[in-house]
Amino acid sequence: MPSTPRGDDPPPPAGRPGDDGTGAPQAAPGRPVGEMRLGDHLCLSYDNAEEHRAILTAYLRDALRDDHKVIYVSDDAPPEEVLDRFRRGPDAGDLDLPAMMGEGRFVVRTAEEAYLATGRFDPDEIVGLFATEIELAMLQGYRGLRMTCEKTFSLRGWPGSDRFTEFERKIDHIFRTAPVPAMAICQYDRRWFGRDQLRELESYHAGRVRVDDRFDNGTLRITPTFTPPGLALAGAIDESTCPAVEEALRTAGVRSAHLCLDLSRLEFCDMAGLRALVGAGRTPGGMERQVILREPPEQLALMMRITGWDALPGVYVEEAPR
Amino acid sequence: MTRATTTSTRTGRDVLVHQALVYGSDEEMAGSAVPFLREGVRAGDAVVAITSPRTAGALRDGLGAAADPVEFLDSGAWFAAPVQTLAAYHEHASRDWWPRGRLRLLAEPVWTGRSALEIREWKRHEAVLNVVFAGTPSVLCCAYDRREVPADVVEAAFRTHPEHLSGGVVEASPAYVDPADFYAECNAAPLAPAPETGVAEHRFTGGGLAALRDFVTAEAARRGLPQDRILPLVMAVNEVATNIVRHGGGSGVLRVWAGGEGLVCDLTDPDRALVDRFLGHRPPRPLQQGAGMWAVRRLCHIVEIRSGAHGTVIRLHTRLP
Repeated sequence: MPSTPRGDDPPPPAGRPGDDGTGAPQAAPGRPVGEMRLGDHLCLSYDNAEEHRAILTAYLRDALRDDHKVIYVSDDAPPEEVLDRFRRGPDAGDLDLPAMMGEGRFVVRTAEEAYLATGRFDPDEIVGLFATEIELAMLQGYRGLRMTCEKTFSLRGWPGSDRFTEFERKIDHIFRTAPVPAMAICQYDRRWFGRDQLRELESYHAGRVRVDDRFDNGTLRITPTFTPPGLALAGAIDESTCPAVEEALRTAGVRSAHLCLDLSRLEFCDMAGLRALVGAGRTPGGMERQVILREPPEQLALMMRITGWDALPGVYVEEAPR
Repeated sequence: MTRATTTSTRTGRDVLVHQALVYGSDEEMAGSAVPFLREGVRAGDAVVAITSPRTAGALRDGLGAAADPVEFLDSGAWFAAPVQTLAAYHEHASRDWWPRGRLRLLAEPVWTGRSALEIREWKRHEAVLNVVFAGTPSVLCCAYDRREVPADVVEAAFRTHPEHLSGGVVEASPAYVDPADFYAECNAAPLAPAPETGVAEHRFTGGGLAALRDFVTAEAARRGLPQDRILPLVMAVNEVATNIVRHGGGSGVLRVWAGGEGLVCDLTDPDRALVDRFLGHRPPRPLQQGAGMWAVRRLCHIVEIRSGAHGTVIRLHTRLP
């Protein structure tokens, strides 16, 4: 257990990763959620429910793998609603959240319950409570604690919530200075927070968390994208990676009427790969969806010209901005 | 031999007509080609002449006002390489010519300045046309000038064109052979042997094509292939190697050298034979399997395939500057 995390006010850190200096959201920076380790304090600035759900579902799934406890602080949704939100996700699979909740591994509290027990938001008190939760999880025999909090409550103007930034700074200081057997994802709904405010809050985290890659074998990396729904493909599509592309295309954005494939970092694609990309509009259920090929490399454009597949119905090419 | 009173022994709108016009004088050429084109103009066909500038001049003179609707294209640019030409026919015909009705095309293929390999592949091209344009509304007439074209080319013309046109009269060609047989004959010619020295070799198998692509990139650059033409070659080599890995014996050897014909890439599959019946000579339909060899042929100057009990060799020729 680390030293009592009640202490001196640390100075605000500067020049953190995840801060690109413009305040603009970056395409896919950050650490994949599956690579988070104890001691990580990352932020999730999201504006898309699917992205939010995908990242937190992975976070919950990994808690089982690593024998961690999860405390989920919701804005104001009761446990059943939170449970429902993640259970309905396309990536929930066989993740048995009710069982996790039943055994006490997955705990949901509203922000009011978690932070306003004394009637006002007090950063030092919350930091102390956090230490207590860690201790409790360890006593219960877990190997670690995974915290995650929806931070929208900080905008409600509750008494003391003007000290919210101070709270993030203090928590961050603890994570940076002591070996904490816990990790945390702070959830910021980008639609609610101002740009400058978000930038400051993000700077009190070691970085951003992002969705796990769908596939990465050193030749090709496939990463889900959410706004718009689709996949980002970086590297080479050849006989060693084409089956993974076909599989990812089958399961990507199945609820969406269009699928956007970000090819801006694709370096090579063979014929079978091209056929998979331009054929991605045909879903297993027989649904037709539009396929957007965003910024295909010159090599792919050449392949499309010589095969005559550059004018297929339902396939749109978005060239790189010049 | 059938003597026909119409312009072809073959009738019907969507029946390919493919005639050879072998002539020995300018007058003889104009005497057949001008009525051939004039009839297309009269019928409202899409009328096209792909010839040398000199022939084009003679045809314009002969046609007079009827030359106006005729589209003249330069044979030097058109007949760059057999499969590039095939692709150009497809593209122009499906986008422009066939939508206007029937295509009536006079072509004057280029034979001078061609290597023995190129001549063989251009002869094969004439046989392939009978297959890939079968069932299309096209009347093709290929002109051969006896004074300039080698005798073996004229002989092949009679074997690859179902009909020949002479003095305005069309006759069935008794020498005509099944295009598949002619194609197989071309494949029976052995590949030119690789040089004794200067051959770079790389073995490949599944999971190793990234290294193969790097190898081709380096070898092509070292042998003087300009930077902007390396990627198409890498794509072609990768495609053939992919076929060997996925559908062939699973592993193979690439050999690269530069010779009189340019840059050569031999891909050998020692374990598997494949069936080459006009392989890669038809443009792929959307999402169709087997588009690979069409792409390979499009990306190279000439592709040779030899397959049998000894396995398969696919030779990619790329021109060097």
